[in-house]
Amino acid sequence: MPKTSKPQNLEPKTSQNLLRDEQRLPRVPEPGVVVIFGASGDLTSRKLVPALYELASQRKLPMEFAIVGISRTEMGHEEFRKKLRETLEEHVSGGVSDDVWESFSSGIFYLAGDSKKPETYGELKGFLKEIDSERGTRGNRAFYLSASPSLFPTIVGNLGEAGMNEGEDGGWSRLVVEKPFGRDLGSAQELNEEIRRHFDETQIYRIDHYLGKETVQNILALRFANGIFEPIWNQHYVDHVQITVAEDIGVGTRGAFYEEAGALRDIVQNHVMQVLCLTAMEPPVAFDAESLRAEKVKVLKAVRPIPESEVDGNAVRAQYTSGWVWGEEVRGYREEENVDPESVTETYVALRLFVDNWRWAGVPFFLRAGKRMPKKATEIAIQFHSSPHTPFARRDTEGLEPNVLVVRVQPEEGVSLKIGAKVPGTGFEVSSVNMDLLYGTAFLEEASDAYQRLLLDLMLGDPTLFIRADEAEGAWNILDPVMRRWAEEKSVEFYPSGTWGPEEADELLGQDGREWRRP
Amino acid sequence: MIGETRRAPGGGPMSVAEIEHELGKLRANEDGTLALRSSVLNLIVVTDEMSAPDVTRSVSNLAGRYPARAIVLISDPEGERNVDAQLSAFCNVRGGGGAQVCAEQVTIHAEGPPANHLESLAGPLLIPDLPVFLWYPGAFSPHSPEFAAMADLADRVIVDSAAREDREDSLREMADLIEGEGMPAIGDLQWVGLSPWRSLLADAFAAPERAGELEKIASVELLYAPGGECRALLLVGWLASALGWSPKDLSRDGNHRRVRFDGPSGEVAAHLSPDSPDARLRRVRLRSADHSVQVSRHRERREVKTTVMRGEDLVAERTVHLGHFDLGVLVGEELQFRGCDETYEAALRAAVEILNL
Repeated sequence: MPKTSKPQNLEPKTSQNLLRDEQRLPRVPEPGVVVIFGASGDLTSRKLVPALYELASQRKLPMEFAIVGISRTEMGHEEFRKKLRETLEEHVSGGVSDDVWESFSSGIFYLAGDSKKPETYGELKGFLKEIDSERGTRGNRAFYLSASPSLFPTIVGNLGEAGMNEGEDGGWSRLVVEKPFGRDLGSAQELNEEIRRHFDETQIYRIDHYLGKETVQNILALRFANGIFEPIWNQHYVDHVQITVAEDIGVGTRGAFYEEAGALRDIVQNHVMQVLCLTAMEPPVAFDAESLRAEKVKVLKAVRPIPESEVDGNAVRAQYTSGWVWGEEVRGYREEENVDPESVTETYVALRLFVDNWRWAGVPFFLRAGKRMPKKATEIAIQFHSSPHTPFARRDTEGLEPNVLVVRVQPEEGVSLKIGAKVPGTGFEVSSVNMDLLYGTAFLEEASDAYQRLLLDLMLGDPTLFIRADEAEGAWNILDPVMRRWAEEKSVEFYPSGTWGPEEADELLGQDGREWRRP
Repeated sequence: MIGETRRAPGGGPMSVAEIEHELGKLRANEDGTLALRSSVLNLIVVTDEMSAPDVTRSVSNLAGRYPARAIVLISDPEGERNVDAQLSAFCNVRGGGGAQVCAEQVTIHAEGPPANHLESLAGPLLIPDLPVFLWYPGAFSPHSPEFAAMADLADRVIVDSAAREDREDSLREMADLIEGEGMPAIGDLQWVGLSPWRSLLADAFAAPERAGELEKIASVELLYAPGGECRALLLVGWLASALGWSPKDLSRDGNHRRVRFDGPSGEVAAHLSPDSPDARLRRVRLRSADHSVQVSRHRERREVKTTVMRGEDLVAERTVHLGHFDLGVLVGEELQFRGCDETYEAALRAAVEILNL
């Protein structure tokens, strides 16, 4: 596809509104239209429209706002609205008011069209202009790619060809790309290249909803808003780090999708790598898109590549077999719907990585992600070195373990620190106790949904919590040798559902005398 | 919010150490484990016997969202000398791990002379290192005997300017208060209640082609219910201070107020009408030569509609939620805010300037 001219002046200046009270009232984005490709899909009715409805209802969106859904199914605006309304109740927390819906949905439109055909884009362009003049959306557009990933390059190319990589009349144009960002390094680079032919990196918002979660953002607050953690957050004090992203659910109805993906692509490449970055990164100079993302990329660059020949000693893949989870008997992965009975797709991954930089030299990072674990849990455990010398008698310190700082992202967000304390009594017996802070309990405000947060950031033009191209590629780069090795060697370990993974994963730590925590 | 309220048995005269000890015991669960204490602030509440039950209920509702050590002081300077304390904790289970978390409340009845020295009771009970909010849910006057010493303890004072019968005086005293040297920041619940209205009015002028209309506004109409004067005056005060109107004269016609301002492009006429039977603030309408913007709330539901007209043409229209504004929510909003709210202070000054015409 030929290169189209990329827009220059991306963000117009906002005009002064004397009534805007920045100190106390929420910031409201400029007028604009969100255009959703793949609008008849699940994501639109389950996440995007409910999130936008709630934002609108809470007065967080501008008055001049519209949504345009595009997909191949023939239907009219009214039918599309009706379809969205039917399932809306299930997906919004506060209930739906008819008046608010009526007002909100008057800005929802539908365009039936084949996203592979250029004429669809001509039609879209004309339609958006009409909306601009009727609803005052001022030529600002955000294109949300929620269609099948195989269509991304086509859609982006056609948008560029039709000149929609620029907003109308000096407005802005932004592009939202849902994961997966490719399925390996090569395809990710290809996709990024395709997209950047038409859109500038500053216009591209790659969405990983994990970063929209309050709890994930809190990792940054814990590290960089507190002076006491940073001085010990390095190889002098830290023995190793464990990052766990565990789910209790199986693949459910997503068997066909999962067969193609596997845990490495589905969870590790994005969520786990993001948590690794937030845990290991240097303090950014500012909490803005470029500073934060630059630091994350540095971490990914510092991760020691695993040579293909050493994959087996540093990575474990496994699959769940039948077992019991929370009092319920569940079937094994190979018995799931649309799954090959001889599938070697992994539902569990454990990795040992090293971040080769001044801060982390020699500190192993153990990462694991799996389905059908005993419970849903995401946590980062920083295991510190044992005290160099203990003055207490050995038999008195048997219950004493090294300090561990655990940052729990879910289920109960918080921080706990394992410290040694004297057991009351006449001797000097010392034992470990947990000092627990559930900071979820300090701020019981209903945390807003990750999509609400990210869609609002998108409208406000703040890409801080979105993934930059080099981040996506950096994460693939680390995992590429593992994927190559696994593609060659078709075998997989097994673990019963409701357990914390296979024995081989235990050995990954056991060889250095370490062990996995029980989250 | 699911949780349980635990009360310490007895009560009566207690020392600070006894209170701390008993509060610790309240956190002990039946199975011998200890619930966590979680607090982000200290909240001192000054109230009287009559309002105490309502206030206590609001405070324990707040505890769910803003875990605090709440010190509720029930003051009766006329009574016979007496100080007694009652302790309770609001505990709830958080997350899957079943950890209990408690917020504490100390209720102190102070009668006779101690009622004029509430600071000596509240001060020792504050949790160190956390901000102190002082809330007067009822009628408030900065001239009350205990206030000056209490204000010294506080980082922020939360009052309700509409809680007094003489609302004009109430606003005047507040305006004096914010000028006071070394005073903590002041928050007014009547002002907090205006946030959604202010936000909606700002939204209506967000389009650049309309932002310019703000300078050309020629009239303002406010419809509110009797009792909503403070809100109405603060809203007009806010518009005047934000848009650079200086008040020229005020005429009263029964309960109606008509104010004339000098605006950037000529005279601005404001009409404050307390003829709404229900909502404290029912409708705001701003007009320029060719635009009219109206924000009005639904009679029964918490929904509010914005309409923008150019001449006879409807330019934009939207309905959204006004939000919930019970006492707990209003106070909660104030508890989230730190520091001095300059927009409020400017609005208050302008409102008082109007009253003093």
